Amino acid sequence: MKRIDRLSQWMGKTESFKKLSTLPLNFVLNFVLIVPFAIMIFLSFTRWEPLSGYDWWHASIAGVPRFMEAFGDARLLWALIRTTIFVAAVVPVEFLLGLGIALLFLGDFRGKKAFTSVVMYPMMMPWVVVGLGFYLMFQYYGPVNLLLLKPVFGEGGMIDWFTNTVLAFFAVMIADIWQWTPLMFLIIYAGLAAVPSRLIEAAQVLGASSARIVRTVRLPLIKPLLVVALIIRGLEAFKVFDIVYIMTRGGPGVNSTEVVSLYVYNLSIVYHNTSYACAVSLLIMVAIALVTRLAIRPLEAKRE
Amino acid sequence: MSKPEEKISRRTYLQVAGGTIVGLAVGGALGYLGKPTEVTTLTTTSTLTETVTVTGTPPPTTPALPGAEVSDRAVAGAKQLVASGAVPAGATIKLLHVAGSKNNFEPFFADWEAKTGTKVEVVTLGGEPDVLTKAMAEATAKTGAIDIITIFSTWKGDVIEAGLAKDLTDYYNKYNPEYGPKYPDTTVIEPLADYTTMYKGRRYAVDLDADVFTLTYRKDLLENPDYAGQFKSKFGYDLKVPDTWEEVKDVSKFFTELNLKAPDGEKVYGGYFYADPGWAAFTTWLCIFVSKGGILFSPTDMKAMINTQEGIEATQVMADLVPYMHPDALSMDWASLYKRYSEGKAVLTMAWPSLIKWAQDPSTSAVVGKSGSALAPGSKVTVGGKEILLKAANNPVNWIGIVSNYSKYPELGYLFWQWVTSPVVGAESVSRVGIMDIFRECWFMPPYRETFEKAYTPQFLEVFADCIAHSFPDLMIKGSSEYLDKLTKNVNAACVKAKTPKAAMDDTAKDWEPITDRLGRDAQLEAWRSMIPLYPPDVQDVWKAKGYMS
Repeated sequence: MKRIDRLSQWMGKTESFKKLSTLPLNFVLNFVLIVPFAIMIFLSFTRWEPLSGYDWWHASIAGVPRFMEAFGDARLLWALIRTTIFVAAVVPVEFLLGLGIALLFLGDFRGKKAFTSVVMYPMMMPWVVVGLGFYLMFQYYGPVNLLLLKPVFGEGGMIDWFTNTVLAFFAVMIADIWQWTPLMFLIIYAGLAAVPSRLIEAAQVLGASSARIVRTVRLPLIKPLLVVALIIRGLEAFKVFDIVYIMTRGGPGVNSTEVVSLYVYNLSIVYHNTSYACAVSLLIMVAIALVTRLAIRPLEAKRE
Repeated sequence: MSKPEEKISRRTYLQVAGGTIVGLAVGGALGYLGKPTEVTTLTTTSTLTETVTVTGTPPPTTPALPGAEVSDRAVAGAKQLVASGAVPAGATIKLLHVAGSKNNFEPFFADWEAKTGTKVEVVTLGGEPDVLTKAMAEATAKTGAIDIITIFSTWKGDVIEAGLAKDLTDYYNKYNPEYGPKYPDTTVIEPLADYTTMYKGRRYAVDLDADVFTLTYRKDLLENPDYAGQFKSKFGYDLKVPDTWEEVKDVSKFFTELNLKAPDGEKVYGGYFYADPGWAAFTTWLCIFVSKGGILFSPTDMKAMINTQEGIEATQVMADLVPYMHPDALSMDWASLYKRYSEGKAVLTMAWPSLIKWAQDPSTSAVVGKSGSALAPGSKVTVGGKEILLKAANNPVNWIGIVSNYSKYPELGYLFWQWVTSPVVGAESVSRVGIMDIFRECWFMPPYRETFEKAYTPQFLEVFADCIAHSFPDLMIKGSSEYLDKLTKNVNAACVKAKTPKAAMDDTAKDWEPITDRLGRDAQLEAWRSMIPLYPPDVQDVWKAKGYMS
């Protein structure tokens, strides 16, 4: 009885309750995130791979050469450049399209709810399904050629998308833009809709045009939201893997559309070069963290 | 009145979180050390890899179990395991395989359960590369969640060296699946049986398949007298099944330029040979390269020999074929070839034997009864001042069955493999439409022949034995998936004109050297040398004549 009393007394303390209630989270974090992450850090300092013939916990520390290797890895550099181009191309397009659609949806029109659902569908689809769909659409005898290009330009105007290094990457970008524009739309629309109507009305009374209201009232008010949307989407686009893997596998030819995630996949899964893959992953993670930090600086400065 | 909010300080949080981590780590370690069976398996991993190199293993003393047939012995063995308590009644073995082999295995699970009282469950993956991913994950994690796996023979070196594939030599001796010249009527056809299942002198796998590439052609078009006349006037020789890759080019060009229409109205192309970034090297390129007398590595120092004249010529042949191939050949996955050929959109192609099963199936094919089969085309090479026609057919990614070292019931897993690949059960399993193909001698003879003639056509059966005799294995050394990935991307680059054939081969050679160095040049050389005798004797003779080996 005394024990139960002591337990209920201990539970009664807020601090104890907090400790107890965070225990499941700690458990999950430790096993799902921290322990594998610690293993990854350990492996990045070794020269272990599954083909080594011994278990990873027997691997001896090789020091920092694995990280140094990454700095001289031309394939990694090209993968980073390609990924940066990908992010720089798709995120602004998704942003502008999302903004445009959000502005269209600000007004009332018939069937608005139904159209909103339709606009959201691409985002709800699994990446794999989107990748596969666009992979089939851009085949030589796929709908893009047969329904769009052939009727206009004839058979000679049909394009072999996946045998051209530039066009293949372009096809991947289109797939990404199609899928993720709705996310931009959703965030921007939510922000724009939340702008107090009295400010809009005041601007209208002062004779501001709709375009000017958007430029000088609506957008500045939701600027922090826009920055967050760009950061989230930028980070996600940097991690692109599924659609590239399904649509091009990094080809055509030698890694012409290989992005960073696909390179790390190839290193660890196809080449079994686990420890180097870990080192590259860590470097990329640090780089992304630095870039993100720089990106959110203006927001923090404003808050201060 | 509410109590003032108590905040957890950073120190307290770190204490709690740190304590949890340490507690979990200690608990995990104790739990891990406290599992006797798993510890045994885990701690022997590195020793297992070493065992591979031991060639003087004493022969097993356990006598073979009674049973008239391979499948009977497998069933008797499984029953005995249950009766002895080594395996509990109702035990389940988990099979990891790809969707393409569903039809070859799953219909037989109920029968196995009825006969042995044990069950088989499947983990089905969609894509072939995923199997290697899961297999290597299991090799690292050693969970024992998977008992038996279907893998490409290409990955054999990787899964064995990673400690995943169990050495099955003792099971072979105990249960006798009838491999080798002692069983001429039932054996898995040689040299297939040896090169798909053996590694450094030991058996690590069960053969599930015979994937030797065969040339498949539209018999009705090649035998058409109108086309024959036009072809002769254009190329100066008779239209026939091509014997060389140069002839393949001519025939492909001829039919592409005829602008024939397939039943669905789309264009018919002269050829469809794998040239995509996933398969180009394993399949078409390797066949051309070896037929030209090329050797992948030097048997002296393991130097990459891919950028020799043979390598550049083989790549050039593929690049030259591109304008006359169906566009899917450069970018789509393997199944597209099956689809396009069966739709009547290609005249010549080279693929696995299962293509004929597809082309003969009215539910999937518009060209039923119109296909012919032949040995893969070759190349004219000069040996000792004399020109010879060298033909060699590769056996890319032949499916084999392995048993996991971390399985709870490895012997039961092996017995299932023996049962489902036995002459009697295997005849039913392999003759179904699926990705597994005919691999036992007896299936070419009555009473099985009729079944297989229906599945493949009588002409295919005549040709296929010859194809196997001329066959050579995949690259099956450690790191083969990496070597072949780099090669296949470069071949594809040459096909899409992103690189010249010479640059593609030079770059491949440059990529291969660091792989060999990383994995150990001496060990790789030893593994490569053990593969050389698996190539057909006439290929080895050409290598000797060219001075590539002594």
